[in-house]
Amino acid sequence: MTNAPARGVGIGLRAPHVAEVLATPPVVTWLEVHAENYMSGGPSRRALERIRAEYPVALHGVGLSLGTAGTPDAGHLRRLRALVDAIEPALVSEHLSWSVSGGVYLNHLLPLPYTEESLAIVADHVTRAQEALGRPILLENPAAYLRFAHSTIAEPEFLADVVRRTGCGLLCDVNNVHVSAHNLGFDPVEYVDALPPAAIGEIHLAGHSANDADGRTILIDDHGARVAPEVWRLYAHAIWRFGPCPTLVEWDTDIPPLEVLLEEARHAERVAHAAGDAETTAARAR
Amino acid sequence: MRSAWRTPPATRRRPLRALGELQDDVRRALLGGDGEGIERSIVADGLAPEARLAVYRHHVFTSLTEVLEAAYPVVCRLLDRRFFGYAADAFIRRHPPAGPCLFEYGGELAEFLADFPPCRRLAYLPDVARLEWAMNVAAHADDAVPLSPTTLMAIAPERMSELRLALEPSLGLVSSAWPIDRIWRANQAEAGAEPTVDLTPGGVRLEVRRRDDVVGFRALGEAEHALRRALLDGESLGAAAEAARAVDPALDLAGLLTALMREGAVTGFTLPPAPEAA
Repeated sequence: MTNAPARGVGIGLRAPHVAEVLATPPVVTWLEVHAENYMSGGPSRRALERIRAEYPVALHGVGLSLGTAGTPDAGHLRRLRALVDAIEPALVSEHLSWSVSGGVYLNHLLPLPYTEESLAIVADHVTRAQEALGRPILLENPAAYLRFAHSTIAEPEFLADVVRRTGCGLLCDVNNVHVSAHNLGFDPVEYVDALPPAAIGEIHLAGHSANDADGRTILIDDHGARVAPEVWRLYAHAIWRFGPCPTLVEWDTDIPPLEVLLEEARHAERVAHAAGDAETTAARAR
Repeated sequence: MRSAWRTPPATRRRPLRALGELQDDVRRALLGGDGEGIERSIVADGLAPEARLAVYRHHVFTSLTEVLEAAYPVVCRLLDRRFFGYAADAFIRRHPPAGPCLFEYGGELAEFLADFPPCRRLAYLPDVARLEWAMNVAAHADDAVPLSPTTLMAIAPERMSELRLALEPSLGLVSSAWPIDRIWRANQAEAGAEPTVDLTPGGVRLEVRRRDDVVGFRALGEAEHALRRALLDGESLGAAAEAARAVDPALDLAGLLTALMREGAVTGFTLPPAPEAA
């Protein structure tokens, strides 16, 4: 098993590409998988273990529902811990959202009202998760289509507060920032600038689509296209702001050939290098 | 510095509803389509709260329908994809997922279809769904090492009937009054040969297993099925043998057990503690 950290630009590994990655390992520095897809036994789990022998692998969870009021699902946390023990991932991440209510898993990363109550709940659940896993996690900003009237805290401020209370890191999904900024009407650059740079442990990139909703365009975070030009610009700004950061290209809808993801990853490398040079120049100027 | 217009935290008014209540309302709005409790809490910002909720609802239903389509490809084909989508919509409302591992989602579909009025005339449909669910379970079952036959030789012969055997985790049994094996095969993409299935030959007893990473099934004889059914249900070897003999008094029990071992279908056993010596 390689002990290398996740560095540079990786890709999200999805089921249609697993056999190809095993047969002809592509040139890519690291891979990320959805933790819940590998909590079974059998062939898929064995495949992940073989892939882990060759690449640093990050586990991206979608099931902890860290924002659900009440106690977190101890059984699910145990399953995640078992997977973490077996895979020894380079990074473990989850979402600032909720998916579980009344014993039902809604299979969506649903938005929270950003209140003191939510902050206490999320911080408590992140702490419990980190204690159960024996390691810090990264918390990802969600893509949002609505916001609650009684929110009193801005999202980046809320994330920074969770970092302060729990010691967790952040996963900044720049496509989510762009999508939410469009749908909720805020400035994506100001959002990135409001995040604590030292806490950023990973960046996500993905494509989105535009839908018409009652005559208004809503951006949908469907991970079904190449990264949009505005998101590349925001990514360059994020690298300039945060410094070099492991970056991941995700694709989940209408998954294209593996080569397309690798092309996107190479493009991200170029954008990050250019932004990194700009950052160095700016630092020298300072 | 805190803006003057903001209420200081100590006296800040409590939110209109606690987070748990809000989440109950959102869940009801997404699954039941009744957003009345929640819409006032959502900022419109140029788009009606209901239209914003609809973006989430659309994803919940389409993504879960895709999960069901992947687990039940033959049921989907038998019903036609659009009608399957209609049935899935009703199923998701009644049986939403209980947990985030979606390879475990959808096991109640057979029972649901049996009671779903538009499908009542397709009497074989619930059993086809049971077969596909058993195949889905087999695909994700844990690996297990087969028990060596010599392990069982160490057990005193007079205690053999008390043994409870653990069968390999992918092994499942599905029996039906309909030829669901032929219905399944006729609805594979590469089939084409048997466009209609004659339903008169009657029932089958199928064993589903994953072997060498491929999930398949085969028909079992009545006595063999009875034996494996009883073992799978956790009966002792003695009780399982009795169940099999009830079907076929002349059965070759040793032969059936040897086959079970040879197929690597037994992965463990338990034996109750020996009674105290008198």
